[in-house]
Amino acid sequence: MSNNYFNTLPLREQLAQLAKCRFMSMDEFSDGVEALKGKKIVVIGCGAQGLNQGLNLRDSGLDVSYTLRAAAIAEKRQSWKNATENGFVVGTYEELIPTADVVLNLTPDKQHTPVVKEIMPLMKQGACLSYSHGFNIVEEGMQIREDLTVIMVAPKCPGSEVRAEYVRGFGVPTLIAVHEDNDPKGEGLALAKAYAVGTGGHKAGVLMSSFIAEVKSDLMGEQTILCGMLQTGSILCFDKMVEEGIDAGYASKLIQYGWETITEALKYGGVTNMLDRLSNPAKIKAFDLAEELKVIMRPLYNKHQDDIINGTFSRVMMEDWANDDKNLLGWRAETAETNFEKTPAGDVEISEQEFFDNGILMVAMVKAGVELAFETMTAAGIIAESAYYESLHETPLIANTIARKKLYEMNATISDTAEYGCYLYNHACLPLLADFMKDIKTDVIGKGLSETDNGVDNARLIEVNAALRSHPVEAIGAVLRGHMADMKKIV
Amino acid sequence: MNHSISLKKATVTFDERFTLTNIDWDITANQHWMITGSNGSGKSALAAVLAGMGDITTGQVSGLPENVGLVSFEAQAELIAEELKKDDADIMDVIAIGTPVREMIFDYCSDQNLAEQLVEKFGLSSLLDRAFRKLSTGETRKVMLIRALANQPDLLILDEPFDGLDANTLDMLQEHLASIVNQVPIVMVLNRLDEMPSFITHIAYMDKQGKDQGGLSLIVDRQDTTAFNELHQLLHLKTTELEVPEADSSNQLPKLDPAQPLVRLKDVTIKYEDTIIVDKLNWTIEQGQHWQLSGPNGSGKTGVLSLITGDHPQCYVNDIFVFGFQRGNGESIWQIKQFIGYVSTALQWEYRVSTSCRNVIISGFYDSIGMYSKATDNQKKIANEWLALLGMKDRADSPFNKLSYGDQRLLLIARAMVKHPPLLILDEPCLGLDDLNRQLVLALIEKICQGSETTVLYVNHHAEDQIRGIENYLELVKRQ
Ligand SMILES: NC(=O)c1ccc[n+]([C@@H]2O[C@H](COP(=O)([O-])OP(=O)(O)OC[C@H]3O[C@@H](n4cnc5c(N)ncnc54)[C@H](OP(=O)(O)O)[C@@H]3O)[C@@H](O)[C@H]2O)c1
Repeated sequence: MSNNYFNTLPLREQLAQLAKCRFMSMDEFSDGVEALKGKKIVVIGCGAQGLNQGLNLRDSGLDVSYTLRAAAIAEKRQSWKNATENGFVVGTYEELIPTADVVLNLTPDKQHTPVVKEIMPLMKQGACLSYSHGFNIVEEGMQIREDLTVIMVAPKCPGSEVRAEYVRGFGVPTLIAVHEDNDPKGEGLALAKAYAVGTGGHKAGVLMSSFIAEVKSDLMGEQTILCGMLQTGSILCFDKMVEEGIDAGYASKLIQYGWETITEALKYGGVTNMLDRLSNPAKIKAFDLAEELKVIMRPLYNKHQDDIINGTFSRVMMEDWANDDKNLLGWRAETAETNFEKTPAGDVEISEQEFFDNGILMVAMVKAGVELAFETMTAAGIIAESAYYESLHETPLIANTIARKKLYEMNATISDTAEYGCYLYNHACLPLLADFMKDIKTDVIGKGLSETDNGVDNARLIEVNAALRSHPVEAIGAVLRGHMADMKKIV
Repeated sequence: MNHSISLKKATVTFDERFTLTNIDWDITANQHWMITGSNGSGKSALAAVLAGMGDITTGQVSGLPENVGLVSFEAQAELIAEELKKDDADIMDVIAIGTPVREMIFDYCSDQNLAEQLVEKFGLSSLLDRAFRKLSTGETRKVMLIRALANQPDLLILDEPFDGLDANTLDMLQEHLASIVNQVPIVMVLNRLDEMPSFITHIAYMDKQGKDQGGLSLIVDRQDTTAFNELHQLLHLKTTELEVPEADSSNQLPKLDPAQPLVRLKDVTIKYEDTIIVDKLNWTIEQGQHWQLSGPNGSGKTGVLSLITGDHPQCYVNDIFVFGFQRGNGESIWQIKQFIGYVSTALQWEYRVSTSCRNVIISGFYDSIGMYSKATDNQKKIANEWLALLGMKDRADSPFNKLSYGDQRLLLIARAMVKHPPLLILDEPCLGLDDLNRQLVLALIEKICQGSETTVLYVNHHAEDQIRGIENYLELVKRQ
């Protein structure tokens, strides 16, 4: 069994690594891709990240080729097609790994241990191994040969966005890190920076962080607000509406497209803007609901963060890996059987504003989830910038997948790790909110407030507005969004 | 007029100096028309046809009324010429004084009462005994107007009637015209839409069809406000002498070797799995050599273009030389894109950012969709000049995604041109545009072709959307 790297560190070092996160300034990237120029970059795996990062790197003038497992080449699998159709050289590990100056490991996290064990002996003396997620190093304690430099360049977006933003002349926010135990020549940072420039990330903002901070914050975000909260919220809101006699097709549509619509507002102006889209009485209602939700759910967020920090989460999940993903597959099947998942969106017109007006509870859930995730992460020592990207920033991107094909699509798009954590959250959160849901009526989900609820107490409104605007996620959000002006609208 | 005037595929020549080609036009009861268009497009000629002038060489013209009231510079000049001829014809030693104004008016007009009123209104009373040929241009114009108005015409044709009139007379004339709209159909030739009286119901827009040839290219119903606003813009582009704004002098593109072609494709092939789309194509584009690329859907036009722009991943497995770079040798696509201005429908679809019109133009300096850097003052100034050229100054700060489809296209062309790229690629720039917007876009492209050093690569399969100045053609065929 693997050895959790984080747990081997003394507390002092753990805290220092968790707190490592600095927003880099544009002029730190003035060397461009120079550090990688003329070097041979070999990517392992040609999936969502592999293909799109490779396309960007090549378009930035770098030398990119792909290595795939032998079976993928022999069977001409999708990954082989992705690479060859785009005009890349494709070869086996034996053919390409020994020639590589930099190896980008972009296989699924679950495969990292066998893949890295297989390629490491083939790697050139003094070459560089790069990851886009630190799970293998941090949670599995993978030991890398001493002469190799180990870095991470992790785009904070799905692969398709990584490419689309580059083509527009931009990039996506990116986190970079150097594994300090593996930086024999001290060139890790220069390579990671050049790589971030090659993918266009420097234009959208780069966080200089650590493997540990990346893993512990990434896991936390995806399990709670990003995937878990949206899954639990979808199931609860749908069942409640149907129970209250709302047409199932309408309910299905309100939820499937509602997450995307309301979180689009997050993207432009944070939680404040999302709540500003509501009428004053509805805003106060959403605020109160969110406060209640935060009290109920806080212990759950704490538990997730604790399990992630102390390694319980990864240990349990890896046990499931060893058990042929029995839990994961079972839970996936269960999700497919939920009423929300099985009810197609009705053929009804719902205007953009109606998603807000009739989805007050959904707005409250997003607010509670974003703030709890952010508060829990920062309390655990993760820096605000990192916590922002792993909570608020990614929420609209995930909501977008639900709009496409409901929970199925979300769980298919996210990594197995995220999916596993999402189910854990969902199982704990459903019973936790059972009592709360008993008091919920269609005024906050399905129909909107009635005329008679229209009174607003001025003092209360002022209080709510002030509270919204002074939450710490709003302060850091305003700064970071400033770096991403003119972001593409997700339609 | 209770019957209608009808021109069917009519071609009309005027002393072989000017030809109106292929006119289809109907004027029916209760319509009042304005004819407008660029200089030399045949506006006055079309009006003259209604007065029975010109030789109809092909097609049909029917329903022309007998009694037409016509005011135009040509008619005015002719009348004066006649008067002068009478002088020449006078033998003897009697000093010729010419026909007095009184005679010119009252011997001609059938409605004496009205003539009298108008003489009064237009302030000609004191001039009645003066010789017509002694009058100033403005005064003869007033005489012309009275003759046309007070002769109970079946059709009133006024070619630039407001030119040279003082403000008072102009008001009076406008007022009078407004009072007779229910009695007689009016056709006016006017250069500017803002001079158009409110009773006009339809606008005929004329365009040059070639040297000394004009034709009727658009008919706009006054009620259709969108079309009307677009016509405004089209006239602006066609009729004002605007120059293409300069490039940004503080941020110049690297110099290209003039001896090298812009683009050289050697045996390039595009294929997907086993399907070959383009097979061993050779193509060289020299500097200053404008090209039109055509071919049916699926023939690989856009594929070939994206090999040039670097957007096609197979550009790395083909022999491609662009702007001094042999592709696949460590250059970045931004080093290639800086030399290219690009417009296509796909770009317009991708350009879904909520940014201002000015920023859309400025983004052309950065080859980006949307802006991520701060624009310099000079870039803003240049963008403003482009907005003025497009007739969109008032919309500089409006969000791009709120504009009409046609206006978006115009802005994207300006965005592509703002840096004066050595190569401008227009991939079906008129696709999806209605007639009016098509003309707007073509007018803008023509302006660019005339006013810059840019080599144009124009992709289109509509033969009628040709652009003057393009002499090289490449046609791709669809492979089976
Ligand atoms: N998805 C995201 O949003 C995201 C964002 C940031 C970072 N990341 C990270 O990026 C990495 C790649 O994720 P991804 O989403 O791009 O994965 P993916 O789309 O599932 O692609 C994985 C690729 O690896 C290959 N592969 C699978 N198993 C393999 C094995 N045992 N040996 C060799 N190759 C194998 C697959 O090809 P064949 O099966 O055909 O061999 C496929 O091309 C992960 O570390 C992930 O955490 C992902």
